[in-house]
Amino acid sequence: MRKKILALFFASVMIGSCVSVKEYKKIYLNDADMKLSANQNERFENNFQVYREAASGANSGKTGGGCGCN
Amino acid sequence: MMMMKRTILFVFLLCAAFTLVKAQEVDSSKVYKKKVLESTEVDLLYSLYNQAGVHSPVNGGIGTEQLVDGTPTIVVSMPLSDNDVLTIDAGISAYTSASSSNINPFMSVASTLKSTNLFNTTGASRGVTPVVTPSGTTTTTTPSKPYGSPWIASTGASHADVNKAVHADFSHSSDSRNFIWGTNVAYSKEFDYISYGFGGNLTGLFNEKNTEIGLKGSAYLDTWKPIYPTELREYMDYGSNFQSSGYFKGVTIMNQSGNTSTAYLPSAFKPWDSKGRNSYTASLFVSQILSQTLQAAVFFDIVSQQGMLSTPYQRVYFADKPNYYIGYSAFIPYYATPDNKAVYQLADDIERLPKSRIKFPIGVRLNYYINETFVLRSYYRYYVDNWGIRAHTVNFDLPVKLSQSFTFTPSYRFYKQSQTDYFAPYETHLSTEQFYTSDYDLSKFTSNQYSFALNYTDIFTNFKVGSMGLKNVNLKYSHYTRSDGLDANIFSFGVKFVGDK
Repeated sequence: MRKKILALFFASVMIGSCVSVKEYKKIYLNDADMKLSANQNERFENNFQVYREAASGANSGKTGGGCGCN
Repeated sequence: MMMMKRTILFVFLLCAAFTLVKAQEVDSSKVYKKKVLESTEVDLLYSLYNQAGVHSPVNGGIGTEQLVDGTPTIVVSMPLSDNDVLTIDAGISAYTSASSSNINPFMSVASTLKSTNLFNTTGASRGVTPVVTPSGTTTTTTPSKPYGSPWIASTGASHADVNKAVHADFSHSSDSRNFIWGTNVAYSKEFDYISYGFGGNLTGLFNEKNTEIGLKGSAYLDTWKPIYPTELREYMDYGSNFQSSGYFKGVTIMNQSGNTSTAYLPSAFKPWDSKGRNSYTASLFVSQILSQTLQAAVFFDIVSQQGMLSTPYQRVYFADKPNYYIGYSAFIPYYATPDNKAVYQLADDIERLPKSRIKFPIGVRLNYYINETFVLRSYYRYYVDNWGIRAHTVNFDLPVKLSQSFTFTPSYRFYKQSQTDYFAPYETHLSTEQFYTSDYDLSKFTSNQYSFALNYTDIFTNFKVGSMGLKNVNLKYSHYTRSDGLDANIFSFGVKFVGDK
C-alpha cells in the first residue's frame, strides 16, 4: 500500500512538473510563510520532540547526534 | 522497497544530470548575477523549555520528570562570494533535571532537612528525627541515614549539565542558481556524551525552478562516557562485597517488608562492552510548485543507528526479582506514588536495547496561500522502525498577516505512536528477557501541541545596531501534553539582524 502511495506521489510530482509557474508569477509562493522548510523558531521544538517521542526525521530537522537522554 | 529506492535514485540522477547540463548552458553567458546572500545575517535565538511528568526512566518508569532547559543560540550566515555562503551555528543548552539527578538518588537528612517539610526538626537536637508518613504515623531515625525518592530531585552532581554544540555549513550555488552543493560539520559535548558529525548535500532545481530535488547524507559518530546508577556502579567496583565497601559500607538495605537484608545482589548488571553510537542518515526531498498559490514537498529519510542505543543510567526493575530499598521503611507501601518521600528502590539492571536501529520516516508538506491575510501550512509524517514503533504526525500552521509587519500564527500538532517491542512499565519486565526498557518515550501514547507565534518583520531594517539592521523579531509559545501525563511548555525568542549591503 505504501509503495502505491509513494509511486502515486512521485507520478503526480512528475506530472506536476509539466506545470510551470513563471518567476514573475511567484509573488505568493515567495512569501516567507510559504517556504517548504521548517521555520527557524521550530528548531527548538523539533529538538525536544526528537527526545520525547520515538519518531524523528523527514522534516529537515535533527536525525542524530547528542544523546537526548534527559 | 529496493525497487522504490532504485526508482527514486534514477529519477534523482536523471534530474541532476539534466540540471547540470542546463546550468552549464547558462553559465557560459555573461548575465547579471545576484548574490546568493546579499550580506551577513545574524540570528540570536533563545528557548526556555520546562516539563513535568510522572514516568522517569532513571527511576524505572516512575517518579518526577521535572526538567528545565535554557538554550541560547547564535547563527551567523556570511557570503564568502557571490555563490558561496558559510553558516556557523553555535549554542549551549543548560538544564536541570530531576530525572537525571536520581542517578545518585541518595541524600542525607542533614543536606535536605530544610528543603522539605517531611522531617520535623524538633527532634533533631536529640539526634533523632520524626518522619511523618502519608497515613499519619510517625517513626524516628537518626538524621544521618541516607534516603531518596523517585518523586524528589536529588542534590547530586548529575542534576544539571551543559551541552555545547557548534555546527558549520558551507554551500555553493552554480551561476544559474540551479545547482547547489554543500557540506557541513558538527560537534557537541556534554559531561557524559560527545558527538562529531559531518555530511553533504546536493540540490537541483529545474523546470524554471518549479521543481527541486535534493539529496543529503550525514553521519554522527558519538561516544558515551557511561555513568551507571550509584548502586550498580558500587556493585561494578566492589563485586559481591559491595555492601561492606565504598558507599554502601554501614548503610542499611531493607527488603519489601522493611527488614534489614543483605541479599541484594544485582547480578543481571554488566557494564557496557563498548561506548560508541553512530548514526547515518540518507535523505531525499522533492518539492514541486503546483500552482501560483500552492506548493508541496516530500521528505524521505533512512536512518541507521549502530552501537549503544540505550542509556546507561536508566534503571529497570524485574517483576521476578525481590525488591530492596534504602531509606525509611514506612514509605515502602507508597513507593510508586508521589506520597513516597523517603525510600528508594535499588535497581535490578539498566535498560538493554538492541545495538542496531533502522528508521524510515516520510513526510509531506503542503503550503497554500489562501489570500493576502491567510496562509495554510500543513505537514504529515509517517514513521516506522525495526523496534516495532509506528508513528503519525500531523501539523497545521495558519499564519495570519495582521499588517505588513506583523504576522500571528496559531499552530496545532498531533502525534501518535505505538510502543517499542522492548517497553514495559515499572516492575513488569522479567529477568529472562533479552531487551528491556521502562522509558515512556518509547511507550504507546498520543500528544497534542498548541502554539502561538508573533512575528515582526521590517523589510527596510530601519532599527540599527552598529552596521547591522533589525530584520525580524519572533516570539513563540507552545504547550505540549502527552497522554502518559507529561506536560511541557516551550518559549522561544529570536531576532535577526542583517548587515549593510
